[in-house]
Amino acid sequence: MGARLRVERLSVSFGAVPLFRAQSFELEPGAVLALIGPSGSGKSTLLRAIAQLVPSSGEVRLDEESPEQIGWPRFRRRVIYVHQQPAFVPGSVAENLARAFSYRSSSSSFNAAEASLQLERLGLEVGLLARLAHTLSVGEGQRIALLRALLLRPDVLLLDEPTSALDPEHRDKTEALILEHVHGQRCSALVVTHDPEQAQRFGGSVHKLGTPGVADG
Amino acid sequence: MAETGLISLGATDLLIAAALVAVAGAVSLLLGLRLERRLGLAALRTVVQLLLIGHVLRWVFALDEAWAVLGIMIVMIGAAGRAAIQRPSRTFTGIFAESFLTLLLTGLVTTLTVTHFVIGVQPWHEARYVIPLLGMVLGNTLTGISLSLDHLLEALDRDRSTVEMELAHGASRWEAAQPPVREAVRKGMIPIINSMMVVGIVSLPGMMTGQILAGADPLEAVKYQIVVMFMIAAGSAMGSIVIALFVYRSLFDKQHRLRHERIRTR
Repeated sequence: MGARLRVERLSVSFGAVPLFRAQSFELEPGAVLALIGPSGSGKSTLLRAIAQLVPSSGEVRLDEESPEQIGWPRFRRRVIYVHQQPAFVPGSVAENLARAFSYRSSSSSFNAAEASLQLERLGLEVGLLARLAHTLSVGEGQRIALLRALLLRPDVLLLDEPTSALDPEHRDKTEALILEHVHGQRCSALVVTHDPEQAQRFGGSVHKLGTPGVADG
Repeated sequence: MAETGLISLGATDLLIAAALVAVAGAVSLLLGLRLERRLGLAALRTVVQLLLIGHVLRWVFALDEAWAVLGIMIVMIGAAGRAAIQRPSRTFTGIFAESFLTLLLTGLVTTLTVTHFVIGVQPWHEARYVIPLLGMVLGNTLTGISLSLDHLLEALDRDRSTVEMELAHGASRWEAAQPPVREAVRKGMIPIINSMMVVGIVSLPGMMTGQILAGADPLEAVKYQIVVMFMIAAGSAMGSIVIALFVYRSLFDKQHRLRHERIRTR
């Protein structure tokens, strides 16, 4: 389990202007890389580019296979991008958690027992499963969105400020669950954060995104 | 009553009818609505446009040539294609071509099915049948297309984050696009279903009324109207689906991405 993610000279341009300098790095199974940089430096866009959600130039490889070889939906199921502002389809939390298991790219099926277990570990009540997803608070939504990705057991997690709406207690629980997946499932994570301490807690590796034309750290 | 009971209208008759428009103008003057000029222009346009098309149709009927009928049909489809894309508040490059092709396909399929298999028109291009029937299909199908288009573009713009979330979790482009596409087709089909529900009770369709005025037996007129309603229903359904599929093809790429930047707000 786990796969090596290689990003090679990846860049995104809007019109003729590159949003950030071409980025290259590797992420081994079980590694966490914190992605930091000033607002507007393109951190979220970099994650979206890795997930192949926006047109980009450069290469992304998963165990040396291209997204095209793997097939884009299958690739994205293995390299999941979790948006900072969670989005849900109309329906209950449980339906939202189960949703991705109905896609053709999925080979596993939804395990409600596991979902309940993980829900409690995030400090959420099991009763939440029956709630309509659009009635969730931002903090609840953020954790449900993370859980939705974790349940799919991806090889790589692309997390965009995954704890930005959480208080310290729930932040710690959430970080613990992420790290458990990283260590237990050999999943790797690229985490956008503004908090240097969070980067430390995730293991200390940091990738900096500067403004275009400015040398990277 | 004579079977061919059509009473021919002279210039005086039209002038009397024009007096009815003058009533509307008087209301505008009386209440200070300042609509007199626009009303006058609208009335004038009605007269000029209809007289023009009357002469064109008379010429085409007399000519009895397939190419002339086909030419008129293409012009009609082009005009309907433009009208269909006016209403949506969002647009994208190539929208007219897609609207045109949708109407070309659905208009020709439904009209020619009816003229060939139901009415049995000989030759196929008999303008007296083909042109009015195509006109009715286009007029209604363009509403369906317009609604379907409007909803789909709005949904893909407004619910972009939901669509991208689905893609980000391994949905194929079709899996991610399906909910908004289905809803768009539904929206496009609702008006014709509604009018089929109340036809004859709340409204007497113009074509049927026209046939009755022209001296046709009401039951004969009704049979034609039923055929026309079904033809329009098929046209609206097909049109709503085809345009939604065109939009889907234009806004999702082979890499299974939503190309949101292609949507422009007017």
